[in-house]
Amino acid sequence: MARMKMSLRIPRQVWFAVFGVALLLALAWVATKSGPLAPTRVTVARVVVGDVAPALFGIGTVDAQRAYLIGPTSAGRVRRVLVDVGDTVTAGQLLAEMDPVDLDSRVTSTVAAASRGRSAEETAAAQVRDARSRRDLATAEARRYVELGRQGVVAQSIVDAAEQAQQSAEAQVAAAEAALAGARKDMARLDADLGGAEQQRANIRLCAPVNGVVTSRDAEPGSTVIAGQPVLKLNDPRSVWVTVRLDQGRSTGLIVGLRTDVTLRSDPRHSHAGAVVRVEPTSDSVTEERLARVAFDRIPPGVSTGEMAEVTLHLPTISRVLTISNASLRYRGAQSGVWLHADGHLRFVPVTTGAEDLDGRVQILNGLREGDSVVVYSERDLTDASRITVVTSLGGKGK
Amino acid sequence: MISLAGRDILHAPGRFILTGLGLGLLIGVTFTMAGVYRGMVDDAKVLLNNSGADLWVVQKDTLGPYAESSSIHDDIYRGILGMPGVAQAANVTYLTMQVQNGRADVRAMVVGFTGGEPGEPGYLIAGRRVTRSHYEAVADVNSGFALGDRIGIRRHDYTVVGLTRRMVSSGGDPMVFIPLKDAQEAQFLKDNDAIVNERARTSANPTLNRPGVPGLLDAIEASQTSNHNVNAVLVRVADGHAPGTVAQEILRWKHLQVYTRDQMEHILVAKLIATASKQIGMFLVILTIVSAAIVAFIIYTMTLGKIREIAVLKLIGTHNRTIASMILQQALGLGLIGFSIGKIAATIWGPAFPRYVLLEPGDAVRGFAIVMIVCVLASTLAIRAALKVDPATAIGG
Amino acid sequence: METGVGIRIDGLSKRYGEGATAVDALTDVSLWVAPGEVVGLVGPSGSGKTTLLKCLGAVIEPTSGRMTLGGDVIYDKGWKIPDLRVLRRDRIGFIFQAPYLIPFLDVTDNVALLPMLAGRPNAEARARALELLQALDVAHRAQALPAELSGGEQQRVSIARALANRPPVILADEPTAPLDSERGLAVIQILHQMATQYHTAIIVVTHDENIIPTFKRIYRIRDGRTVEEAGEGRETPLAAGSRVG
Repeated sequence: MARMKMSLRIPRQVWFAVFGVALLLALAWVATKSGPLAPTRVTVARVVVGDVAPALFGIGTVDAQRAYLIGPTSAGRVRRVLVDVGDTVTAGQLLAEMDPVDLDSRVTSTVAAASRGRSAEETAAAQVRDARSRRDLATAEARRYVELGRQGVVAQSIVDAAEQAQQSAEAQVAAAEAALAGARKDMARLDADLGGAEQQRANIRLCAPVNGVVTSRDAEPGSTVIAGQPVLKLNDPRSVWVTVRLDQGRSTGLIVGLRTDVTLRSDPRHSHAGAVVRVEPTSDSVTEERLARVAFDRIPPGVSTGEMAEVTLHLPTISRVLTISNASLRYRGAQSGVWLHADGHLRFVPVTTGAEDLDGRVQILNGLREGDSVVVYSERDLTDASRITVVTSLGGKGK
Repeated sequence: MISLAGRDILHAPGRFILTGLGLGLLIGVTFTMAGVYRGMVDDAKVLLNNSGADLWVVQKDTLGPYAESSSIHDDIYRGILGMPGVAQAANVTYLTMQVQNGRADVRAMVVGFTGGEPGEPGYLIAGRRVTRSHYEAVADVNSGFALGDRIGIRRHDYTVVGLTRRMVSSGGDPMVFIPLKDAQEAQFLKDNDAIVNERARTSANPTLNRPGVPGLLDAIEASQTSNHNVNAVLVRVADGHAPGTVAQEILRWKHLQVYTRDQMEHILVAKLIATASKQIGMFLVILTIVSAAIVAFIIYTMTLGKIREIAVLKLIGTHNRTIASMILQQALGLGLIGFSIGKIAATIWGPAFPRYVLLEPGDAVRGFAIVMIVCVLASTLAIRAALKVDPATAIGG
Repeated sequence: METGVGIRIDGLSKRYGEGATAVDALTDVSLWVAPGEVVGLVGPSGSGKTTLLKCLGAVIEPTSGRMTLGGDVIYDKGWKIPDLRVLRRDRIGFIFQAPYLIPFLDVTDNVALLPMLAGRPNAEARARALELLQALDVAHRAQALPAELSGGEQQRVSIARALANRPPVILADEPTAPLDSERGLAVIQILHQMATQYHTAIIVVTHDENIIPTFKRIYRIRDGRTVEEAGEGRETPLAAGSRVG
């Protein structure tokens, strides 16, 4: 009976002891495994030889290469507009018309002046003919009288009179010819005036300079517009391209001819192939961007100007170089480098980087060798004195 | 001599341990609160460290960019870059706002940074750094975003390409890093309705919308929808130069304010966290008092339950100090259990808190000392009661 | 007249309060008990026997009189002993109405507690405890907790405790009150045995008519005064050495 009672009591003390020991162990575990005393967890990866397919990235807007502003050359009132936004027009098609105002009457008066001038010209021409025939007559008479004079038939005064009549007739011819020339010059002037007035009247007709699509209708019939103000805007849908803006710091290798992929904001699932057709000689110094123009191989249907696009420009692939993930890059001051993991210790190694692709693979030019183990992810900033433990992943969820 | 305290506890360990458990949870809460305060200070330090900057250049007469809003032109950094002693100078923007992820939105501090310059997160725990100049983001894990998520910031969607840790604002909001230009636009541009409204107002203004000057309205609207401001310029000082000296040089420009790291830390800790730290300090005091009350109550109850035994012990010749020591030992034992459970609990549930809880070993030591002192003080009530017991009551009871 | 060491009080008085409301609990009480003797202190409730016991136990201070314990004067119009606690621990044994064992100590430690308090090493204290428990025939319960014992066993353990420091006097306050007649007699018999065996003077305060006949001497107390009487000194039915309980 005594033994049974003993065995009942011991468990309680044992339980208490177990509890106490468990508490101490938990306390010790807590102290070493967490908090500032615990080692930093990192993941490592090897430096591998691989290809880097660098690419540039920029956003841009879809533009038309050429846009036309259709408007009058002088202030006037819009009389009618014949097309609307979205209409396709052909070169020479009448798109709108301005109010002629007094232009018609000016044309009529100029026409009348021109016809009057023509009559004046004809009159002058007739007078020239008349003067010429008189001159011919006077010349023949003078010749006859001179002959007669030489024969002594007529008096010298009559011969002189006949010669004088001939000279006078010549002078009249000259005068008549001059008058004719003057009338002709006048005529030319009046013709030019007429041409000008007609031209001005023609300018109230606004016609399409090229085949294209109307993109904007800016003035309605009845509104007054000044010279230079557009009534309609036109562009050639076949001349649509993308104006891309690239950060100046990340635009190395930008040349004409680079192949591109364009993703339109309105259609993010498809990308359209194209190429760089122009690199603008002027950059934007305020936003620190370079500009390039990218043409589509095949213009996507239904594209609109002003639409946002994301453009990836493919640079030539660089093969068989040392690469690491750009997550391994750390910065000490302005110096970039990586944490080399060797013999369980960490060492900061400065590196020079080369090309980088859009998925984060970076070319290493020097500082590392193939097979070196470098830190990729870490829980904290690392220092030379950091205690580390290598794990396979830091738990950042990924897809 | 045997341990009366130990025997008494062993006799009824359940009640003692359960009280220790309850006390431990209370102490755990206290540790956690202290840890929250330490975490806030650490958030501030980490914020400053992770920016990689030695100097912060902000708008004159502001405490920005964290404690106050600051706005400077985005081309000022060029002038700073040319000054002696400056190794790097980069624009940076900060804006605390809601970030959309599917249906939910998360409060985050959106940081606009330039790759390779101060302001970029120094390390990642997953993914990669931003390679595209627009529409990619690196987020802190506290935001709940995963790699590949499409998150919405203002008018654009960004793909989360990298994750980082301990990148939080001084308010505890997780940070999301996006390219500077996108951040400038996010800070400035409003929603579509506001933009349309703005355009209508400008068009209706006859001095801005002049028919005789075609293109004027477009130019004005374009200038209205562009933002050329940033919140601060982060400066990294070149080796061999003292940050203070370089700061003085920049200050001489007169229309800028410059803070060194120490000054920024003072601003964040002394000004930004001041109110919160007072609140937490009060909580700690209250919790300590409550813990003391609980210990006092339990020990007092245990003692009252032994009044007769104490009378007998005194009668048969036990020292007052032996009895007092028994009570004191029980109080200290309770404190020991409570401290252990509290420390363990605080460590286990700390990571589940929305704010960063930092438990320092020094705090554990201090906490232990305080718990012990509190237990000693709390036991005085019971000890007084025990000492007042008249041994004569054992006779004739 | 006393022979040898024991306990003796002369002219002890205890007055509570002052002036008109004063109460004389004890008036001029004298008694003595010789070593090895078991004396009964009999009186109704309110007669002052509890007060007398408290004075004898050095837990309250008498108003006047003289107390001698084991040859030493412990009170003579004032305590003559510097530390009453030590006196109680080493020189007076207490047996209470209820066993009043310490519930969280086992039987051995309950008894060994007194020698430990007196500074004896634990092993020696426990050895002495075991010895006493054997004498009282409860050694087989040495590891048990008081709650696991029967009433009679607890009583015997408390007797062992009272004897643990070999005090010259043991004060027993109504030790048979909770027991039936048979067990009560058994307890008294044990007390007689222990008194003889350990040479201890034992005063048993009681009003149990069942056991009063067993005393050879009785002090009757009424209204604070005592009268010595001769008792019957009847042998208990089990005096022949058999044990009950």
